Amino acid sequence: MKELSCEDVLMAQMAAADGEVTEEQLAAHIAHCADCQHELKQLQTLDQLLTGHTLSESSVDLWPAIEKGIAKRSALTWRPFALIGLLLIVHKLLEMLPAQDPGMMFKLVPLVIIALLFVFIKENPFRINTELVLER
Amino acid sequence: MEDAEAIKRCQQGEREVFRHLVERYQKRALAHGTAILFNRNDAEDAVQEAFIDAFKAIGTFDTSRTFYQWFYVLLRNRCYKLTAKRRPTESLDEALLITAQPGMSAETTLGLEKALHSLTCEEREIVCLKYFDGLSYDELATHLQIPRGTVMSRLFNVRRRLQRKLSGTLVPEQEV
Repeated sequence: MKELSCEDVLMAQMAAADGEVTEEQLAAHIAHCADCQHELKQLQTLDQLLTGHTLSESSVDLWPAIEKGIAKRSALTWRPFALIGLLLIVHKLLEMLPAQDPGMMFKLVPLVIIALLFVFIKENPFRINTELVLER
Repeated sequence: MEDAEAIKRCQQGEREVFRHLVERYQKRALAHGTAILFNRNDAEDAVQEAFIDAFKAIGTFDTSRTFYQWFYVLLRNRCYKLTAKRRPTESLDEALLITAQPGMSAETTLGLEKALHSLTCEEREIVCLKYFDGLSYDELATHLQIPRGTVMSRLFNVRRRLQRKLSGTLVPEQEV
């Protein structure tokens, strides 16, 4: 079996204090190690200090802002996309008109529309998303 | 109104019912947001956005979990998104994050607050969930989406950092 270092023992001792492992496994080392005893005393004092506090809770009413946000996001969900869809359809219909050469600029219109859409929704399509993933 | 009923009615499109969930959990959410961001305004922004996310995603609510457990994932996402574009930190003239229980001096609390401020967001989050919410290692692993071993090592390292930060000032005061 691998011999435990002071750090291993300290970590395990704190876990024991949290009720996560049994203390018997650790007692033998600590009984003969002054460094561990000193460190542990300090860490236990820190535990007492932390448990002597609670998270501050202040009274707030976020509902008005949240309600507004929900309504705003609901409106955002379909209108801009419907408009862009309409623009793209109109563009396609114009493109299909016979005997017309709309030119290079006209062909770039859909790209411009899509680029504007990304500007509008404030998203960079080329950014690699490293953010946390929503858990299902 | 029970959470389950409120969620069911929200899923049926009753926006006003969502208010019950906001009112029930906004204080706790704001405390957790502040714990991660250490900035009240940023935390309010994150909590608002997370509640809006929750309303939009309420159809996917996982009934095997409590509302707040499910919501906390959304809140974390919003908080960590904000850490990339943080405002300057609020001054630490008084404790923002923690409140002392009877027997603790204001100086001690401010010292602890400053030590917490010196931690990273992830470190501060795990300390708050462990000590102020009383989560077990398994619960921490679930909340933070990290292995149990990582919970142990992260807690160990953060305690040592705090202990070193506080060793010159607070610990002797506790021993007196």
